Amino acid sequence: MIAIYLCAAIAVYAALRVVTERNTMRKLPFFNVISFAVTAIIVLLLPGPITILAAAAYFVGSTLESNAIASTWAGGMKKP
Amino acid sequence: MLDEPARILVAAALCWINFVAIDVFFRLPESGGVCGATAIAEEVEKGGGNLHGGFMLGNIVSSPDASAGTLLAACGVYCAGLPGGLFAALLVYIGNRICYDPGYAGTTGAITATFLVFGMTQLGFAATDFIAGMVIAIFTLQGISHVHSSRLIARLWEIRNRLLGEP
Repeated sequence: MIAIYLCAAIAVYAALRVVTERNTMRKLPFFNVISFAVTAIIVLLLPGPITILAAAAYFVGSTLESNAIASTWAGGMKKP
Repeated sequence: MLDEPARILVAAALCWINFVAIDVFFRLPESGGVCGATAIAEEVEKGGGNLHGGFMLGNIVSSPDASAGTLLAACGVYCAGLPGGLFAALLVYIGNRICYDPGYAGTTGAITATFLVFGMTQLGFAATDFIAGMVIAIFTLQGISHVHSSRLIARLWEIRNRLLGEP
């Protein structure tokens, strides 16, 4: 039972860091922590065989979103 | 048997070792996989961190790597036992392909984590300990101080290069 409260506390802390960090690129690692914590909370709240699909879909989706934000901010499809 | 908080801390340490070792072995700190990861690394360096450590932080943000593999494998073992963990490895591989990544680090991390978590559940640990442990592990790297975590990764990257030769 401690596990889920711990994940929720980490998610809230990371969300506060996202809000207080000024630099957009440096917000993204904190956003990544929220994705991890929310994925963990989804699985801990709803244990069942289908949940792993939902958790993976959420996690991959949020990673792709961070990837898109970072790449767009860095100048679109130009090579690094 | 250990109490739940102690088990979560042990699980966090094991998850941390599993994903950092695999990410560093698969050269995530070498360069940015996509231009977004490179941009994050440059910002971390501007803030006082290390560029190679920043590349790894950027790569973790931009694509499901061994840390994502460890989390989803622990979730898979919790939901459906050993087959669930291996199914999670397949999902991580698909996720890697969506994010234009070869997917070696993520898939390897998911497979090793599946056996790690399944083995530890036989020793009295719960899969939930590893789910919370992985959230703590990623929090120590991405959520506390990018300056210090990037320097720590850079030090591990130097050790890897000394042991296995320059890339």
